[in-house]
Amino acid sequence: MTKQRTAAWPALRPWLGTLVRLGLAAVWLAAGFAKVGDLAESGRAVNAYRVMPFAAAEVVGAVLPFVEIALGLLLLAGVAVRVTAGVSAALLLVFVAGIASAWARGLRIDCGCFGSGGDLAAGADPAYLTELARDGGFLLLAGFLLVWPRTRLSVDAWIQGDK
Amino acid sequence: MSTATKRGRAEAARQAKEALAAQERKRRALFAGAVAVVVLIVAGLIGWAVWAGQKDGGDSGATPPAAGFTAGTGPVAVDIYADFMCPACNQFEQQTGPTVDQLAAEGKITVTYHPIAILDRFSNGTQYSTRAAAASAAAAEGGKFVPYLKALYAQQPAEGTDGLSDDRLVEIGRSVGLGDEFAATVKDGTYRGWAKRTTDAASERGVTGTPTIYVAGQELKDRSPAGLQAAVAAANP
Repeated sequence: MTKQRTAAWPALRPWLGTLVRLGLAAVWLAAGFAKVGDLAESGRAVNAYRVMPFAAAEVVGAVLPFVEIALGLLLLAGVAVRVTAGVSAALLLVFVAGIASAWARGLRIDCGCFGSGGDLAAGADPAYLTELARDGGFLLLAGFLLVWPRTRLSVDAWIQGDK
Repeated sequence: MSTATKRGRAEAARQAKEALAAQERKRRALFAGAVAVVVLIVAGLIGWAVWAGQKDGGDSGATPPAAGFTAGTGPVAVDIYADFMCPACNQFEQQTGPTVDQLAAEGKITVTYHPIAILDRFSNGTQYSTRAAAASAAAAEGGKFVPYLKALYAQQPAEGTDGLSDDRLVEIGRSVGLGDEFAATVKDGTYRGWAKRTTDAASERGVTGTPTIYVAGQELKDRSPAGLQAAVAAANP
């Protein structure tokens, strides 16, 4: 049993890695495309965190969806997975810090993660815990790829001549 | 030459070849990494450029007379930020609107309405929030802002629908006594750029949701009639 497992893991891992990579790619693409249609709205969602001046928040809000889409495409193709996973993890940590700080300061906002921005309707309660748990899950995906960046069906595998 | 030396040479050659291959793999990995970083930076720059282009586009368009959005001449300033698509704004208008009107009529407050467009994504791409805010600016120009606001809320479309058409916005204007000039302003979208600017200005001020109401510069937490009256009384000793 144990022997079989240890034998199966090295063979399985690159394929599992492919799934993780595609999953994280889907997350970034969904997050990016949800925001890219209304950059002004994206800027307001960033401004709702009240951590930077409005002019800076506008720029961050405009740049973010494009970077997210680029990350998604790079992960989809599997280009420099360790680098893109590292950038993903860094970005996710920034998001987690932002949501946690909004929560700590008692702001009542939506994280704006997938496009619905800053404003919360009067009756709605912030879902900070859910948002943090979700980002934590995404962080696990990025962490997996940071540790094991070699995955099947990727540009990396192709240029490295992996089987 | 002994066989041992031969074997040693073959081994050395193999090691050299492997070292070369490892170097090549490293070179390729570095190259891929560089490509990824460049792609991310370029994507960010594209975002910046697209945003800057949109911002320039949004800045065109006229500004309606500021006086059109105020009611009353009282000493306490009341600022109301609302989106015509927002159900909570409609609820505020139904519940506390009469109190606002009364306080303005009694000369206790000067109320300034700030129609903003933060819910454009809820109208299937027709940007109802922006169109309604722009139409209300046209109504302000025609001196009928408050009646138009009430009429729009009375017929508020549900979130996730197309919202009211421009023709419907014009009809509602006619029902409160606005004329052809108003109709033309709505159809030309004259104040849509202004709607975007006023929305940015609201966000800059810290408005993150609607409705947001300031009484003498302080955000009003209790938006009931009693809450508003108390805040106005406290601001006017």
